Amino acid sequence: MADFYQSGVIVTLHKLGRPSLEKIESEIFEFSKQRPIALVLPALYAEFKADALKGIVEELKKVKYINEIVLSLGRATDDEFKKAKEFMSVLPHDVKIIHNEGKRVKEIYATLERNGLQPGEDGKGRSTWMAYGYVIANGKSDVIALHDCDIVTYNREMLARLCYPVVNPNIDVAFCKGYYSRITDRMHGRVTRLLITPLVRSLQKLVGFHPFLVFLDSFRYSLAGEFCMVTDLARVMRIPWDWGLEVGVLAEVFRNYSARRVCQVDIADNYEHKHQPLSAEDAQKGLMRMCVDISKSIFRILAAEGIVFSDSLFKSLEVAYMRQAEDTMLKYEADAAINSLVFDRHEEAKAVEAFANAIKQAAQIFIENPMGTPLIPNWNRVGSAIPGIFDMLKKAVEEDNK
Amino acid sequence: MDNFINLLFQPFRNFWASLAAFLPNLFAMLLIILSGFLIAWLARKLFLRLFTAINFDVWCDKAGLTAIIRKGDIWTRPSDFFGRIIYLIFIIIFLMIGLSALRLPTIGNLTSQFFLYMPRALSALFILIIGYIIAGFVARGILIAAVNSGYHYAKLLAEAVRVLLIVLILAMALEQFGIAPGVVIAAFSIIFGGIVLSLAIAFGVGGIDTAKRIIEKRLEEKKEEKGNIEHL
Amino acid sequence: MDKADILVGIASYNNAKTIDHVVRAVDAGLAKYFSAKKAVIVNSDGGSRDGTQDIVKTTTLDHAAMFLTYPVYPAHRISMPYDGIPGKGSAFRLIFQKAVEMQADACCVVDADLRSITPEWIELLLSPVIKGGFDFVAPLYSRHKYDGTITNSIVYPMTRALYGQRIRQPIGGDFGFSGRLAEFYLKQNVWETHVARFGIDIWMTTEAVANGFKVCQTFLGAKIHDPKDPGADLADMLLQVVVTLFNLTGKYFDKWKDIKGSVNVPACGFRYHVGLEPVKVNVKNMLDIFREGVDNLKLIWTNVLGPGDFGEVEAISHQPDDKFRFPLGLWTRVIYDYASAYHKKIMSSEHLIKSLAPLYLAKTASFIMEAADMDHEGAEAEIEKLCMEFEEKKEYLVNNWR
Repeated sequence: MADFYQSGVIVTLHKLGRPSLEKIESEIFEFSKQRPIALVLPALYAEFKADALKGIVEELKKVKYINEIVLSLGRATDDEFKKAKEFMSVLPHDVKIIHNEGKRVKEIYATLERNGLQPGEDGKGRSTWMAYGYVIANGKSDVIALHDCDIVTYNREMLARLCYPVVNPNIDVAFCKGYYSRITDRMHGRVTRLLITPLVRSLQKLVGFHPFLVFLDSFRYSLAGEFCMVTDLARVMRIPWDWGLEVGVLAEVFRNYSARRVCQVDIADNYEHKHQPLSAEDAQKGLMRMCVDISKSIFRILAAEGIVFSDSLFKSLEVAYMRQAEDTMLKYEADAAINSLVFDRHEEAKAVEAFANAIKQAAQIFIENPMGTPLIPNWNRVGSAIPGIFDMLKKAVEEDNK
Repeated sequence: MDNFINLLFQPFRNFWASLAAFLPNLFAMLLIILSGFLIAWLARKLFLRLFTAINFDVWCDKAGLTAIIRKGDIWTRPSDFFGRIIYLIFIIIFLMIGLSALRLPTIGNLTSQFFLYMPRALSALFILIIGYIIAGFVARGILIAAVNSGYHYAKLLAEAVRVLLIVLILAMALEQFGIAPGVVIAAFSIIFGGIVLSLAIAFGVGGIDTAKRIIEKRLEEKKEEKGNIEHL
Repeated sequence: MDKADILVGIASYNNAKTIDHVVRAVDAGLAKYFSAKKAVIVNSDGGSRDGTQDIVKTTTLDHAAMFLTYPVYPAHRISMPYDGIPGKGSAFRLIFQKAVEMQADACCVVDADLRSITPEWIELLLSPVIKGGFDFVAPLYSRHKYDGTITNSIVYPMTRALYGQRIRQPIGGDFGFSGRLAEFYLKQNVWETHVARFGIDIWMTTEAVANGFKVCQTFLGAKIHDPKDPGADLADMLLQVVVTLFNLTGKYFDKWKDIKGSVNVPACGFRYHVGLEPVKVNVKNMLDIFREGVDNLKLIWTNVLGPGDFGEVEAISHQPDDKFRFPLGLWTRVIYDYASAYHKKIMSSEHLIKSLAPLYLAKTASFIMEAADMDHEGAEAEIEKLCMEFEEKKEYLVNNWR
């Protein structure tokens, strides 16, 4: 992205010219003495068999400024956990793996549940939340950076650019989200392009000016899974454990900080992650579920912000969304043409139809039960409900990692 | 000849007689121990029921008891853990009763001593638990009071009091337990006296300046009018 | 016993210096404003040893006077309550009893150590009951902007946010009330609890508002009383007021949980402000104690406030003395956290509330510096801001109650 236009209410940090990785890394290294950084990596055991993680580990070996790495491992047996530990042991950092399926961490989930603090179902939301809990319990890091473990095009510049705005006291940003374009021979990222942006813009048309909608629309890639934040935010954040996670995080950032302290940063020229091999039907189901969760999450946040959702509003929303999405599609068609990219109009149109369907479903679910998905309680609340929870969590992770 | 055979078989007969006398004891022991296992198992079930009914786990979580168990790397539910302890206590008691049923002099001594110790051990444990709670309570009270009066070494003071109290309680518990009482008292006097003396010296030597400063500060405060606002 | 229309109660304990003045003022007030009514003065004494009772007995009065003595247990004498009257609750109980026995229509109580009481006070406290049909008359005083900080930063904002009634001086000490309310007070089963010893003021106010009695305020002018024991321990004072406040908060959860916002309480009397002579306050001393608290009470505070808010508290402790400010939002959460910690009985109530003292001092220091250049209205506006914060954050208390 070669422009330097500031769009929206948040700060946008572009990639301009040829920034020196060496230089910002050495700066981060200095800053991180004051504000130590924890890197949180949510991963499934299946990812240990793929190449992406190998590449990530190789890159991370060269990163000096990370204080601790917390890998939150899902769907792994005890044996697999051991293998994962071995795999990660090549890193020179203080690496801790949270064994979410292990007896100790499971017991922690059970403790939360019996005290009425539902941590939700297994998934990325819950396991990253647990990782934040460990970082808080350990008390050694003031900044948390997070990215997925399936990035094929991983480059340590991503991490550096992600951390820089938060650790640099002169920028003093509380939350920094990554953005990038996802292009092969075509454009990817359909959910962001054709669901979220048109949905948010049509909502803006219907309900008028609303600070949260403006805020959400300011993000160039609101579903990007890469971000960096101050640990304090992790304490007060209440996030959904379903697919509404990313949007939920943005809502919590909006609630707790002014837009001035929020930024997005261009972290990569190109970004590709490993596609989960799924059958077409499953993929459809999975995608559908994701879109429903995201739409629901947006409705819930707006309702909490005081917007009243009625049947008629939802009806007009469906129409407005269709129109908005079609307009957007035209823009991308032109964009694809000039860049000689493949553009399958039929596929895109089918996606829009599916998304419209998802919005409809989400509206229905929302009207039936506005409190839909319960959020994971924030760590402050958990800490005051169960006084010893942080000690327990720390002990559990340390014992597992012995 | 008869005599000789008698002589030869007498030991066997004796053995048989004592075996015959002993076997019922052995059976009694086995029976007692077996029923002990059964009763222990039942007691554990019963307690687990009770624990579930009173939401014991949640209570443990809130009271911080769970956190203490976890420190020992025990990751079962608190009620399971305490259920197991109850089970073990029952087993030990029945083992002891069973062994005493053997009526062997050495084991008899052992078991009678065990039962003699039981109440002492329990009361020692009781003293430890109550004492631990009291020490924590007193130390916290002192800490808060010291902070509120602006004393600079509040935590040190509170910790010192806590350590002293715990030493005192440990000595009391050991004394109750009856392990070499003379040694315990001597050791306690030495340790307690030592701590007090070293504290006194530490405060004396290290604290002269501080004490001077505190007194000077007090005097100064007296001079300059203390802030007089009404809090209520 | 004969019926009396009006009953004036004076609780005393070693008030020989001032009681004469108070009794005369009461007597004159009754003669001047209520000459047509049958009135009686009840002095309830805790066994003074400086001749307080003799003075009352020898004062020539136009009205019938009654002298009652209630027992003060030696234990109660050890820690002197903030109002200087051990067992003031027991004293009031006798007054309520007499009011009920004599079927009084209107009653009032005044402190025995008042120097600024005038005959008008009697009219101001009783008329709203007799003529206005009110059940409870709370006092309004003109006070120095620095005075009454426990009232201003804890008791007033909290009672206002909880019960939705803006009673400015819930712990004033001089109240008027109807016979009906006296009967209600007497029936409450609290006379063997700590209410008998201290906190009767906040108890009377809260019971009246929580149970839907008609409440108003009356402007009495300046409140000047005999200088109290300067050695009175702040932490003890805080304990006595806050214990009762928090107990009632627990008792009336069902009544306050749904109340939102607050309404003005009608006020009568002529309002004027006293001058603001500069008062020298040792802010540094207050902040020193606060910082000692941050260093030493970390465990307790983290337990009560949670690690997040403790972090905030720790962060503000690093501000330089002259720029020290305690954010209103944080203070509100602190008080609400303490209220719910008290409710959940996470530690002995004495320890809990005494550990609030350093935080309270910090808040007071912050207020004193903020209000340094303000006039009366400015300081009052500051308090109003805090109250709004309490009202807005009330949901936080409700959510954390359970």
